[in-house]
Amino acid sequence: MVPLARRNLLAEKGRFAMSVSGVAFAVLLVLIVLSLYRGWSGVGSLYEQMPGQLWVSQPGTSDPFHSTSFLPLADVRALGAVPGVRAAIPVYTRHIAFGERGHELDVFAMALAVPASLGSAASADVPPPGSIDVDRVLARNAGVGVGDRLVVLGRSFLVARIHSGGNSIFQTAYLNAADARAVFGIDGLVNFALLDLRAGADPARVASAVSAALPGTEIHTAEEFATSFADRINAGFLAVVGVLVGIGFVVGGAVIALTTYTATVEKAREFGVLKAVGAPGRFLYRVVVDQSLIVGSLGSLLGIIAAIAAARLIKQQVPEFITVLRWTDAAVVFAGALATAVLASYLPVRRIERIDPAEVFRP
Amino acid sequence: MSGGPLLRIEGLTKVFGGGPTLVRAVDGVDLVTESGELALVMGPSGSGKTTLLSMIGGILRPTEGRIVIAGLEITALPRRALPRVRRELVGFVFQSFNLLESLSALENVEIVVNLAGVTGPEAAERARTLLREAGLEQRLDFKAGDLSAGERQRVAIARALANRPRLLLADEPTANLDSAHGREAMALLRGLTKAKGHAAVVVSHDERLLEVADRVFWLEDGRLRGSRDGLPPGTARASHSVLRARTGGALG
Repeated sequence: MVPLARRNLLAEKGRFAMSVSGVAFAVLLVLIVLSLYRGWSGVGSLYEQMPGQLWVSQPGTSDPFHSTSFLPLADVRALGAVPGVRAAIPVYTRHIAFGERGHELDVFAMALAVPASLGSAASADVPPPGSIDVDRVLARNAGVGVGDRLVVLGRSFLVARIHSGGNSIFQTAYLNAADARAVFGIDGLVNFALLDLRAGADPARVASAVSAALPGTEIHTAEEFATSFADRINAGFLAVVGVLVGIGFVVGGAVIALTTYTATVEKAREFGVLKAVGAPGRFLYRVVVDQSLIVGSLGSLLGIIAAIAAARLIKQQVPEFITVLRWTDAAVVFAGALATAVLASYLPVRRIERIDPAEVFRP
Repeated sequence: MSGGPLLRIEGLTKVFGGGPTLVRAVDGVDLVTESGELALVMGPSGSGKTTLLSMIGGILRPTEGRIVIAGLEITALPRRALPRVRRELVGFVFQSFNLLESLSALENVEIVVNLAGVTGPEAAERARTLLREAGLEQRLDFKAGDLSAGERQRVAIARALANRPRLLLADEPTANLDSAHGREAMALLRGLTKAKGHAAVVVSHDERLLEVADRVFWLEDGRLRGSRDGLPPGTARASHSVLRARTGGALG
């Protein structure tokens, strides 16, 4: 079969390149926005990475980042005796704002009093007294590296480790529990209790037992906290992301439609010739749809490649913008771009329908 | 398909507009052409030649009358059946060649073969053979725009023959060609018509075509008026031998 669609597009290489670039740019925009959204949605997953499955808090607490809570330390320690609980971990949290090297830092500080009974693996994540673990963004903004000292709430800490994470809104720092109690100025209280359950324990039963043992508290799973966090992000971001994704698709679709329409108008006489020599409508429509699909698919592939490169670059150069590019998102955007390409063929197809083959007899 | 004339036209009429702007572009034309014949329709500009050709080719629907090609009355067919008639029963040669500019000479012919459902090597081979017969073996991969006017018209003739039509329809095929290329194109059209047993209807102003026409019709104000020199419509006007003599016997 003669590849007329491809030949028509390649006959105007400059325009073809611009069209493919336009679609690629739209796809890049959509994917970067989506990856930022995914990155932000995943911020709450830090609760799921901690050594425990159930969180105990005062009532009305959404998650440790967005609200605070106070529980008596003695009550928290007593939860270790609730059936199904392997360890009750006191958790100290605090938002700390301070200026460093011209940067206004908003740090979410956390400390977990991990008992020795949980083993060395869990304890190894806890910084030793007088030390602090910071994320990459905080380290960069504060201008500190491992071995440097960082002053937090008037007390100097040795930077022990730099971990991944951090973003443009807040950064994280982990302290030793003893230091946290001193720096946060709370004694005899903790903010949350994190319960590590025994193997095979039913979380619902344990939650009931905890509620009975410590009335006036709320029990959350780590997943609920993560979801709560993501929901808050979604409420703020989702509408904006939706609009930007919509704009991306409209721009991409308009580029495809304009390219295909222009190519069709320019080749109107040739389509008339094909009609005159007996080309059925479906053959002509196929040529137009193929033209759209070629521009759409090439542009999308280019856009996906550009988005992968951009996401890597952002991660390296601007780690506070968290990007998570998922293959499923790329596949959905690719499929969406192809669907948009087919829709964008509508006007050119209508144009072809109106071409009178008798016109080809005019010199 | 019948054993009668290849093309029979009876009372063909085409009216455009209405009321004070009514125009009878073609008015009650009767015309017959046999296999292997080249019929030439001459007449002044605006006489209805192209309208007549468009109706024979199933592009324009007549207001009245019948057109029968190889026993098939195309005027009785529904509109949706006409593309198939144009694809399989007739071949068109246009004044301005109307090649697809983004395609090569070979592809311009092959795509019409594709339209008839033949694809792949078979389609390419058929196109190659036709272009070889048209003397364009060295130009197969040339883009349409890179061919001379004469070569473009030869590609157009090969394209018109791509699906082995019974009837060739040519609209002013020499109008955009110089004298030598015009003669070449007509020799090719004439030769292939004879060799392949087609019939051809050619509309033209070009009096040189009188030499190759088997029948000549004179159309004026949409009506056949007889031949220009007073002979009845469709009078045999020239024999193939006239052109054969002029081209040194190099015809098909």
